[in-house]
Amino acid sequence: MHQKFEKIFSYIIKGLTFSSVMMLIFIIVFIIKESVVLFEKVTIVDFLFGKGWNPLGEPLTISIFPMILGTIYVSLLGILIALPIGVGSAIFLTSVLNRKMRKIVKPTIDLLVGIPSVIYGLMGLLVIVKFFEVHFDFSSGESVLAGGIILSIMVLPYIISTCDESMIKISEQYKITSEGLGVSKWHMIRYLILPACKKSILAGVILAFARAMGETMAVMMVIGNSPVFPKIFGKAQTIPSLIALEMGGAGVDSLHYHALFAAGFVLMIILFLVNMVFHYIKKSIEI
Amino acid sequence: MKKLLSILTITALLLSLVLTGCGTKANSDEVASNMQETFKSQILFKGSSTLAPVIAKISTNFIEEYKTWDQVSEDFPNKSLDIFVSAGGSSAGVKAAMDGSSDFGMVSRTVSDEEKGKIEGYQEFKLGLDALTVSVNPENKVYEVKKSLSTEEIQKIFSGEYKYWDEVESTLSHEEIVIVTRDLGGGAHKVFQKKVMGDKKVREDAIQAPSMGALVTKIMENKNAIGYASYGMVNQNAGKIMPLDVDGVAPTKENIVSGDYKISRPLLIVKKGELLPQEKTFIDVLLSEEGMKTVEKMGFVPAK
Repeated sequence: MHQKFEKIFSYIIKGLTFSSVMMLIFIIVFIIKESVVLFEKVTIVDFLFGKGWNPLGEPLTISIFPMILGTIYVSLLGILIALPIGVGSAIFLTSVLNRKMRKIVKPTIDLLVGIPSVIYGLMGLLVIVKFFEVHFDFSSGESVLAGGIILSIMVLPYIISTCDESMIKISEQYKITSEGLGVSKWHMIRYLILPACKKSILAGVILAFARAMGETMAVMMVIGNSPVFPKIFGKAQTIPSLIALEMGGAGVDSLHYHALFAAGFVLMIILFLVNMVFHYIKKSIEI
Repeated sequence: MKKLLSILTITALLLSLVLTGCGTKANSDEVASNMQETFKSQILFKGSSTLAPVIAKISTNFIEEYKTWDQVSEDFPNKSLDIFVSAGGSSAGVKAAMDGSSDFGMVSRTVSDEEKGKIEGYQEFKLGLDALTVSVNPENKVYEVKKSLSTEEIQKIFSGEYKYWDEVESTLSHEEIVIVTRDLGGGAHKVFQKKVMGDKKVREDAIQAPSMGALVTKIMENKNAIGYASYGMVNQNAGKIMPLDVDGVAPTKENIVSGDYKISRPLLIVKKGELLPQEKTFIDVLLSEEGMKTVEKMGFVPAK
């Protein structure tokens, strides 16, 4: 009797798990189905590496090359800014602050994740973009740099969290030994903790990269959304912002509509690859 | 025993989920077949984000006044009055009317013949007009030296042929022109493209604002910006952005209604098939004097 119910229960659990996997599969199948229509008219190579985005005009050109570059450029820039700040903060949290202060500061940093991205976008628009226009004589402050700065703040908690975890483990492991040997704290950080954390820093970077690439709203508000090749002080467009901006206006079943789905498909593939690398690295972190 | 109970509860809950799912389905079939007997007390609107606030405002007032359908007219049963409005773009509005996922589509552009053909028994109701003004920042002196721009000049500014303000008018300062547009696939841009740009393309590095509000904010924030702000937005921000005349015609209410001012688009409610009596009642409310007043108050030019 008892066993029977256990069995039923396990079936239910299996069913529920199966359904959540199915959801992912359905999403992927749906996006592929909607984007395949485009590839009957435009070749994949043209779509990925073609010249420009003009899905409505004549002649019709559909290529998301500038957007792919824009997405990667903004994300990389954001991480470049966030990396030194993030690793530095993690060292500060684990090695400088005492336990009591750490308990206050760490959750505060984690709160950064909870701020809605539209708020970041608003701050970017009214503070960063405005600042560029007033102080740097930009004709318009919307730029890759503005997007990078906003993204760097948004991904900071991801980098800090991953580094912080392994730094604590390492410093606990070696603290007594190094103190016993009379090694100074900063020497230990420089020659022991940092090299041992290499992999978790990399893991944090990749996690942050995936997060940055998918960010839509905040980036859309500060980057100008011009489908041109990205330059650091110039405007650009990212794939998520392209989709968010144009989906409302695209005629259902038009080529434009399918092109947006295809853009989403490309973004998804890139994110899958990034996530796979992340898992691979995470698995190989031994400490 | 406890475990057994919890398992039973879970199964019961799951079953109830499945069963209720079946129940509602049967119900909706019934509604479709017995339209006269089961009164449809909900009206759904979907589409243009320009029109959504207007409909939402009028429907809120309407619901607050009557609360239930039998208060509106004696012919209707005592059922609660529900009008739902959701925004998602003009094309989504046409699509919603087409596949019947909502009762009415809100569209802020002309509906193409191709789209009309796809909607059986197509009907449209014109609530008003939304005009786009070519607006600049008040700090921009173009407003003083050159009150009116010709279509050709606007084309040159937006296509990037004029890069600096002093090319438009030599007395202006040598500063780069910043173009602000809405998304190039959207309703507002289509109107601008058709009525002003013609075959010419807007320069690629124009800023695409995600909403009309963002576009106006950009013009207010950047003294070199020029963009097509809607008539309503200009009125709400009078003094903070400056509309220019186009071909010597000012974007005033009279000029827009008469059609002299050319950059405008209609605000439409589209419907597939015949109206139900309760839907007819609400459309009458929208087109009433009270409704027209709300249209005007929200910054558009009323149709009547």
